[in-house]
This record gives sequence, structure tokens and C-alpha cells, in this order.
Amino acid sequence: MPVQDLDTKVKLAVYEITAETGRVPNSSQVSRKIDIDETEAVAAFGRLHAKRLLLPEPGDPSRIRMAPPFSGVPTKFPVEANGKQYYANCVWDAYGIAAALHSDAISRASDGHTGERLTLEVKNGAPVLEPYVAHFAVPAAHWWDDLVFT
Amino acid sequence: MLLFRSEETVDAWCAAHNLRRHPLINLEQLWQLAVHWYANRLTVESRRPAADEMVSIFASLGLTGPFWDPKSDQWK
Repeated sequence: MPVQDLDTKVKLAVYEITAETGRVPNSSQVSRKIDIDETEAVAAFGRLHAKRLLLPEPGDPSRIRMAPPFSGVPTKFPVEANGKQYYANCVWDAYGIAAALHSDAISRASDGHTGERLTLEVKNGAPVLEPYVAHFAVPAAHWWDDLVFT
Repeated sequence: MLLFRSEETVDAWCAAHNLRRHPLINLEQLWQLAVHWYANRLTVESRRPAADEMVSIFASLGLTGPFWDPKSDQWK
């Protein structure tokens, strides 16, 4: 199987499992879904990381910390869509989950400083606009230097 | 990337963390960024936009300058 084909299969498996379950899978779950050896899945995670399509968990290449816009761990940006709960990596990704799933969604997020509840909603395929703002602390040239901080 | 109720809470957050304030974007711009980045993420052909594509997407939303340039070396 050509490398590119395997990477594409792994990428699709990651996102399909995530969309279906609300949880980002590990290499074991991916390997079972597409019937490959788990070591192949781990290697594909590394190559997809090089393409900036996912971020393995630091110190554990069998797990995925981020499959943008989805987070592999709970965050301050929970997103409800299609009757499931997902976690987004940041405010951009909270909208990103609605965009990726082509679904309406609600994210009960909060103000980054005060903690006040700020709800983001996508309804009938469009955002319910509020006078909130998003702040990018890191310039575009360095977003992947430390993606967790970004 | 964090969400804030207003510019005032952004300023308070930056002061509390001793960080420089960078450009702010509104929710319409944020939604458009999300659609550009992720609308095809669950498909075979999905990929991250290339640097030049990123610049074009940002410019279409009025986001220009070195902060939005993925090739900028101003921030090293």
C-alpha cells in the first residue's frame, strides 16, 4: 500500500471516529477500524503531524492531542453538535467543528480573562453574531511552534 | 486563541499576562476562517492551506500585515 494511501486512510479514520463518537481515537482504535497494524497507525500519525494535520500527544505517539479542530483532551471550548459533545482546541476551532461537521452547534465557552460564560452558536448554517472578539496571542508564522499554547 | 466579551477584557488579560495585544477579530471573521480551514476536513482531499493560500484567505477578511503572514520573520 503506498504511503500516501495509508496516510489518507488513517486521516479519514481519525476524523470519522471522532465525528461519530465525539472522542479523538488512539492508534489502536484507528488500526482496528481500517485493519492495519497499530505500528503503521503510529507511523502515519507522525507523518500527518509533519503535514500539520494533527498533533500527537507529547511523550505518547499512540495518542492524538489535536486533530484540528478537535481536541483529544477536554478544553474550555466544549462544542455540542449532532447530539454529541466534542472539545475544540481554541475559539477558532469551536466554530471549526461546526464547519467540519456541516452542522449547527453550540459552544458554551467563556471570556478568556473574566471567565464569564459566552455562548457561541451556529444556527441554520450561520453564526449567531455577538459583539465578542477573538484574540490571537501568537503570529501566524509561529502557530505551530507550540500549538497547545497557540 | 481565546474569546473575550470586549476589547476591555482583552486588554486586562494581556496586562495580567504581560503580553502584547495583537489584532482582534470579530465573530463573522472567525466563522469565515473556520469555514476556510475546516469545511473539507473530513474529506479525502483535506489539507492545511499552503502559506500563500493562508495569506489570500486572511486578506479576503481584511487581515493583512506581518502578523498574518506565515512567512514573516518579524517575530523571531
